[in-house]
Amino acid sequence: MTDDDLALPDFAPPPMAKELEAELGSLEPVATRRPVRQLAIVGIVSLLYGGLLLAVLSIRRDAGELPVEWLVFGGLAWFLGFVVPCYLALVPAPGSMLSRRRLAVTSAIVAAIAFVVMGWLVHPHGPSSEQYNAERFIQGHWCLELGLATALVPVILGAMFLRGAMPVGSRWIAAALGAGGGSLGGLVLHLHCRITDPMHTGIIHAGVVTVAALLAAALVPRATDVR
Amino acid sequence: MADPKELMARYCDGEAGAFRELYALVSPKLYGYLVKMTRSKAVADDLLQQTFLKVHRARAAYVRGADPVPWIYSIAHRTFIDDVRKGKRAKVGVGDTDDLPEIAADLHGEPADRKDEPRADPELLAATLDALAELPEQQREAVVLTKLQGKSVAEAAEIAGTTVGAMKVRAHRGYEALRAKLGAPSAKQSREAS
Repeated sequence: MTDDDLALPDFAPPPMAKELEAELGSLEPVATRRPVRQLAIVGIVSLLYGGLLLAVLSIRRDAGELPVEWLVFGGLAWFLGFVVPCYLALVPAPGSMLSRRRLAVTSAIVAAIAFVVMGWLVHPHGPSSEQYNAERFIQGHWCLELGLATALVPVILGAMFLRGAMPVGSRWIAAALGAGGGSLGGLVLHLHCRITDPMHTGIIHAGVVTVAALLAAALVPRATDVR
Repeated sequence: MADPKELMARYCDGEAGAFRELYALVSPKLYGYLVKMTRSKAVADDLLQQTFLKVHRARAAYVRGADPVPWIYSIAHRTFIDDVRKGKRAKVGVGDTDDLPEIAADLHGEPADRKDEPRADPELLAATLDALAELPEQQREAVVLTKLQGKSVAEAAEIAGTTVGAMKVRAHRGYEALRAKLGAPSAKQSREAS
């Protein structure tokens, strides 16, 4: 059997439905999606929101006692964890309309794992830092809530911009957006929270990325599907 | 032939005629895809209209300069999957035969609305469609997209929302299963024979 043996005829399609014809009757021009511009809006608005949260909550008290390199490179890592998944979720490859879901979800998984490892292994502390460890681990839940609250803005904005753009693989793209938002939450916690034990930074701070990704994957597709 | 990118851009600018041209350009192949997936022209009709209605409602998601066809296929794929999941196609019994519409037919008994369809060996067509219908949904879609619709594996993977590797496996397994159902030797057997 060759491919030619399988060459079934195409069928004559039906004419357009009356409902569609009626909608075409009142057709208005629409502003089409501009992915790079949308990424810039998500980035700027989310960073402003994160900055506002930090201004309200204050920068960590032990900031002056910690190595500047760790503060800077840690912050940069969280920032990249925010930008890269959001970029891959929002900006399709040139010539395509569909998001790069495979790369986006890979970047989300890498971010989720990398921040657990980073938080677990590298956690300098100063005299003003606090250690909750296993005994008071559960008391650190406020950080998870703050991180998730920070993630809300990029996830909601991203979902608004992606409405109708991802008929397939929407959960993967939503997970990447969630991971990006969670990383922004991690950045805010990196600059705000002075609890430095490895369980807190490795599980709660880094866990924001995973939890935000899972929540976004569960909830965002309902908002972005076209019905 | 008109360029789908240009038609989509003109349609987004408010030109209804461009949408009609896009429909005329894309719907024959897309309808073929849906008929082969659903094995029912009535269901495929409905899914085609739903697909284009969704395209219309989501037209603001278009990225200028991008090819809209894979996106339209993705919407069709998703509409088909949703339809299967809902299982909303309940079997409808006809209670009163007097209500059945009279169907216009030509001298050979062929329905008049099918006159424009291309002719193929009816036995082969029926056998192939039957064999296709017996394939698991994912394999059927992989075969339809890659072998019957002429999409590349990458395009088919993009439409179905899966990876290139998974699409290759589905297409290969589906094709081999189809060959077996149609009584053709498998690719491996053909290689061994030669």
